[in-house]
Amino acid sequence: MCGIAGIHAYLEVAPPVDRAELGRINDRMAARGPDGEGLWLADDGRTGFAHRRLAIIDLSDAGLQPMHSACGRYTITFNGEIYNYLELRRELADKGHVFRSGSDTEVLLHLFAEYGIEMVRRLRGMFAFGIWDATKRRLVLARDPLGIKPLYWADDGWTVRFASQAKALLAGGAVASDPDSAGIVGFHLFGSVPEPFTVWREIRALPAGATMVVDATGPHPAERFYDVAGALAERALRPGRGEPAAQLADAVRDSVRHHLVADVPVAVFLSAGLDSGALLGTMAGLGATATTAVTLAFAEFKGLPVDEAPLAAEVAGRYGARHVVRTVDRAEFESDLPAILDAMDLPTVDGINTWFVSKAAREAGVKVALSGLGADECFGGYPSFRDVPRSVHWLRPVSWIPGVGTLARRGLSAAIRAGLPLHPKAAGVLQYGGSWAGAYLLRRSVYMPWELEDLLSPDLLEEGLRRLAPLSHVAAVLQGARGLGDFDRVSVLETSLYMRNQLLRDADWAGMAQSVEIRVPFVDPFFLAALPAGPALARLNAKDAVAAVPDPPLPDTVRGRRKTGFVTPVGRWLREVSGPASSGMPDFSAASRGWALRVWQSGWTPPVAA
Amino acid sequence: MAVRILALVGDAYGARGGIARYNRDLFGALAASGAEILVLPRLGDAEGVALPAGVRQRPAIFGRLGFSLSALWQAWRYRPVDVVFCGHVFMAPLAVLVARLVGARYWLQAHGTDIWNDRRDHVRRAIEAADLLTTVSRGTRRRLLGWVDLAPERVRVLPNTVDERFAPGAPAKAVQQKLQAGPGPVLLTVGRLAASERYKGHELVFAALPALRERFPDLVHLVAGEGDDRARLEARALELAGPGAVKFLGFVPDQDLPDLYRLADLFVMPSSEEGFGIVYLEAAACGLRVIGGAGGGSSDAIPDRRVGDIVDPGDRDGLVAAVTRLLGEGRVDPAAIEPYRRPHFTAAASRLLARLVARPRRMRGAS
Repeated sequence: MCGIAGIHAYLEVAPPVDRAELGRINDRMAARGPDGEGLWLADDGRTGFAHRRLAIIDLSDAGLQPMHSACGRYTITFNGEIYNYLELRRELADKGHVFRSGSDTEVLLHLFAEYGIEMVRRLRGMFAFGIWDATKRRLVLARDPLGIKPLYWADDGWTVRFASQAKALLAGGAVASDPDSAGIVGFHLFGSVPEPFTVWREIRALPAGATMVVDATGPHPAERFYDVAGALAERALRPGRGEPAAQLADAVRDSVRHHLVADVPVAVFLSAGLDSGALLGTMAGLGATATTAVTLAFAEFKGLPVDEAPLAAEVAGRYGARHVVRTVDRAEFESDLPAILDAMDLPTVDGINTWFVSKAAREAGVKVALSGLGADECFGGYPSFRDVPRSVHWLRPVSWIPGVGTLARRGLSAAIRAGLPLHPKAAGVLQYGGSWAGAYLLRRSVYMPWELEDLLSPDLLEEGLRRLAPLSHVAAVLQGARGLGDFDRVSVLETSLYMRNQLLRDADWAGMAQSVEIRVPFVDPFFLAALPAGPALARLNAKDAVAAVPDPPLPDTVRGRRKTGFVTPVGRWLREVSGPASSGMPDFSAASRGWALRVWQSGWTPPVAA
Repeated sequence: MAVRILALVGDAYGARGGIARYNRDLFGALAASGAEILVLPRLGDAEGVALPAGVRQRPAIFGRLGFSLSALWQAWRYRPVDVVFCGHVFMAPLAVLVARLVGARYWLQAHGTDIWNDRRDHVRRAIEAADLLTTVSRGTRRRLLGWVDLAPERVRVLPNTVDERFAPGAPAKAVQQKLQAGPGPVLLTVGRLAASERYKGHELVFAALPALRERFPDLVHLVAGEGDDRARLEARALELAGPGAVKFLGFVPDQDLPDLYRLADLFVMPSSEEGFGIVYLEAAACGLRVIGGAGGGSSDAIPDRRVGDIVDPGDRDGLVAAVTRLLGEGRVDPAAIEPYRRPHFTAAASRLLARLVARPRRMRGAS
């Protein structure tokens, strides 16, 4: 778990790599890796890699990066963890590979030498890396299947640069900060910037589950090696393997077991919810003792039923954990806010909770923690699993009548502006609700496209909507979902959009800013493939099944509580910090609209020249 | 089998100007790597011009309709066509049509000002249809990506190359005598004197001359080039720099340019909108340090301090300081220009062609 960066001057006329620029990029990511740093420049000065290290596996200097293969042909800079690295290492050793360290990084080098870029399919874990092949003179970039670890790249036509953070590329000083209308419109619609866009035109995200080759002609189009819709379609076709609840329990145990691989203690972020409790219980069942469990509490909630700390304490006690409760108040939030906005790599409406729970973990001496992130996406924990299919089935006939949706939206919008007590998004129900992409956009958006006229300049808005094409953007993740049932479709949408662009990105910047590695056992292609098919999960009421995975199972108090949902005062602080919402209406968006505007106004792109 | 390219261009063989020269360089490079090229120009007469092996050029047709019909007919006859090359954005909509007709990949070349101004929707779509888009500079690429929706990896930079004739050496005596530039130092600008190209920055140089001549009393500024703005510029030179400071040479034939560069001490053209500025490269290849202007693609011809400097086109004092400093730094290291020499250009062009033909065809063609 670390920060990585690299510069490759692929065109002959390009000046050689500027070591100072590479250093500046690396320094911007200091928090990602406080345990060491490394910088490597090829002899010809045309390629350079940098690395910030947070030592988790093989803490010795043998794990330092950038790392070279014994033959000198391959060099790697790698961010992430490979949970099956010991299995892969044994397999490679049988083929005659000789290892010099105990690190997973070295396994990647050997695996690449053996299989080439196809090796990414063998990896179980989270990763983003760059490998330089000095013989073929090729740079290969890769990012894990579900997008846990970020990787950004920028190409000016002569030289390509990459880094774990977009802001780090800017800090190098050679990448332009021209605004990207698609990313800006995307942020206002979704509350997070949809990949591959960023808010800067020259910087792009390498999509999750993709690789990219850079040769003497520059970067080639990214090639996908994993796609959620395809994976769930494959799962749906596989015959059931025994009783679904037992299958689910096996999958959870297997994933947690893999995610415990580390040379430092692994902790857990514990709320009063089922998912994190199930993780702690499963860890205990696998023999992890005295696990540190970190719970966030809020001063405002003390003594109220919404306080999570007492229930979390009950769960921690049941599984013998060392329970750390960290109380946050509004004053701390306000004093941290500048640091939060600085660490936020791309604008987002979320991530504050992760910031504080990671901060608490760091204070407790924790370097690695498991999180229940991703459980709602695979077990159907969101209201969208009910609402989106219902909307599509009911409203599809309306969407067949041309013009009705638009007309209704215009009329309702006007009425809402005139005082009709409905949320502004409600105006779009007929226009958007009849398609999967539209219904999902309606459910997840902060603003809807027609509302952006009040917030963004007409040119930027028009160009951004054209470049992003929001409905096509959403629909694209469902390509390959043909034949999938309702549950799986929503699962694909939530996993490929909300989880990837919002939750995982927030977990990365907020965790890394505190030098804490967040591991997500519910975000794992091997785990997803091992689960029962979507219809079985839907019938099973997967959340109940999750609660029953540990032995003993989660206490009834936790199982009964879940209907109240996860409540924090952070939303209220955000609203208060950002001033009253402009509409004055109750807010049912994913996050406060006022907060979205506050984040955007904190200054991301240079002012556009008139 | 050889890769077959149909090239729609404004001009190439038997024509003058930077774009024609770039097209010739490119076709020569592609033919050297084994491609067969049929060139359809709107201007230029290749009669009597020796074309590289593998390159043929049809007679020019200027009229828009005639050219379009001819292009469609020639494309059909030239099947199988692997690549349709389009040398100017003006012809991009036609090139899209031709490429679809014969099922070929579509390669569009953008130079500079050609893609900066015309932003109509159908032009944008014709650009966005390109399988490969090459620009001569990073600046042009960045401006293009600022308004068209093309994946950045599809837009590649293929910089201008510089001819072997441009190399350091002593200037020919005849040129020295003809110009009588005096003891110098000699500043040189080479470029069209067109009212539409006032961005080249002649007047800024004139304005800097009085201060420079205080320090270097024998300094002269030679201005090579012809155009409809010459009379006005001559008047401005007199007004800003006084008599005898600027010498207008008129049009200088291509074969005399290397000697002109060798005779000068510094190349100065603080242009704000150069697509690439091949003249910077030619001057540097002859050993001259160069000064270009910020904006446009000049920074690609002047990539680092080994070659010269870039000044703000509105900053007279900055220009005076840069000229004074560079005059003291002597000649350019030839190694700095080596990557722009022809073997490197040929290799880069053939790599791009190989990358393009490795892509599947856009649609099932007639081939």
